[in-house]
Amino acid sequence: MNATVTVRARRVADAVWPPALFGAAFVAVWEGAVKVFDLKPYFLPPPSAIWREFVGNLSLIRDAAFVSGGNAFVGLLVGALFGIAVSFALMRFRLLNDMVTPLAIALNAVPIIVLVAVFNNMFSSTSEIPRRLMVTLVVYFVVLVNVAKGLRQVSPIHLELLRSYAAKPVEVIRKARIPNAVPYLFTALKIAAPLAVITAFVAEYFGGPQNGLGSRIVSNIAASRNAVAWAYVVGACLLGLTFYLISILLESITRRRFGGDDSRGSGPGGGTT
Amino acid sequence: MSVADVVTSDARGATPAVTVDAVSKVFNAGTANQVDALVDVALDVDAGEFVSLIGPSGCGKSTLLRLIANLIEPSAGTIHVNGKTAARARLDQEYGMAFQQAGLFDWRTVTKNVELPLELKGWDKQRRAARSREMLELVKLDDFANHRPWQLSGGMQQRVAIARALAAHPPLLLMDEPFGALDEMTREHMQAELARICNETGTSVVFVTHSIPEAVYLSDRVVVMSPRPGRITDVIDVDLGRDRDDDTREEDGFYKKITEVREALRRGGHETTSGEPLGVDDR
Repeated sequence: MNATVTVRARRVADAVWPPALFGAAFVAVWEGAVKVFDLKPYFLPPPSAIWREFVGNLSLIRDAAFVSGGNAFVGLLVGALFGIAVSFALMRFRLLNDMVTPLAIALNAVPIIVLVAVFNNMFSSTSEIPRRLMVTLVVYFVVLVNVAKGLRQVSPIHLELLRSYAAKPVEVIRKARIPNAVPYLFTALKIAAPLAVITAFVAEYFGGPQNGLGSRIVSNIAASRNAVAWAYVVGACLLGLTFYLISILLESITRRRFGGDDSRGSGPGGGTT
Repeated sequence: MSVADVVTSDARGATPAVTVDAVSKVFNAGTANQVDALVDVALDVDAGEFVSLIGPSGCGKSTLLRLIANLIEPSAGTIHVNGKTAARARLDQEYGMAFQQAGLFDWRTVTKNVELPLELKGWDKQRRAARSREMLELVKLDDFANHRPWQLSGGMQQRVAIARALAAHPPLLLMDEPFGALDEMTREHMQAELARICNETGTSVVFVTHSIPEAVYLSDRVVVMSPRPGRITDVIDVDLGRDRDDDTREEDGFYKKITEVREALRRGGHETTSGEPLGVDDR
């Protein structure tokens, strides 16, 4: 038991130090370059100045992160629920599936973020709804395409077996389609979570209330407070990372629960034979 | 042996396990790619009997198995399983089925896979657990009850599939090349295991295979089929006794039967095509 913990800790350490070293070196080179080439603060502030502003404005950055993060979270949740619901409808009605799925796949490849300008026009300028709507829409299509695929692409052998067990349609859904779709849902969420944060930031560039990380970046750059703008960028990175980590965590939990092809041979007691 | 007690009592009755009467199956009827998969096929399988279907690709052996399982409907003729229509028999889970791929559910443990047909029969938890334990002992996998399917080797997965197929103690087992994806050593071992299990449980079996020795080793009767159109050309009795083991594979009678089946396959093949590979393994 102790041995496995040590091994795991060493594996984590092995994975962490190369990027950590690279990151530290990158920051050092940046700091050095600003000094050596005497770069003006409006062009590129040094990391030390950004860090000072980050620490100095921590509570403001945190508040702004809660606004952007809240928008991303609400959109992620509503979009995912809506996407799951419509996936079930598509599974049930074949004609609907044939109409909607090609459109959804096409829309996934289109930068629908530009719609936020239209949404802003539809609601009052102090409303968070346009941004949340935008995130919802982006997440919805990602979840819809993946979950619908998971519900539909069930192994033909499983379907024949269930028919041989005289399973009712509802039981086929419960015993085969839903469990088959769960890994697809988490793949979708892994894609959608960072996308939700990015969409929430970018949506703020199109106007609306000046309270999120995205709008703070814009307004600080407009006020020539470059280092502060960069401090908000750091906050945005951390928020994006948080969302990504949450989705990774969710995935690893379900993977342990549901197994699946990807974990072949890496599970507990893998390679027993 | 409790397994034998329960199954023998209802399997070894007077009712034949399977009755196939004048059955034909046409795919894509009335179109340019119409295929006469089976024409006027008749076959009886007695209770407790082991019957293999052998023949080249396209002879309709898998189609015949799927018709018996009521996974597809015949174009003409009737099929009865254990005295019931094929549809009724499927709804009553009168048979268990196994395919070339084990087809286990990755998100279920080995035990839960075996219990799936019982869940669908509405059995309570305790009864399911008792039965799955019994079935895993039968296929000698009780140590792996809580493993996930992907943690097992191909042969072990196939044994789980057999345990699942037998879980509801069906009087009939339908198998479509269940050992086709296994290596030679595992395959012979699995054949011996299947022979043992069928003897212990008295289960009737319809077994589709490409392999002549496999068919001869396992079967009471080998049904030889031929393609275009799919039909039965020969039925060969294999009277090597019920207790077969590794020594059976070295008896003269075993080789004689292999030759007999091979020649029957050649005859069947020559009637429709010439010089075309048979698609049947000698292994």
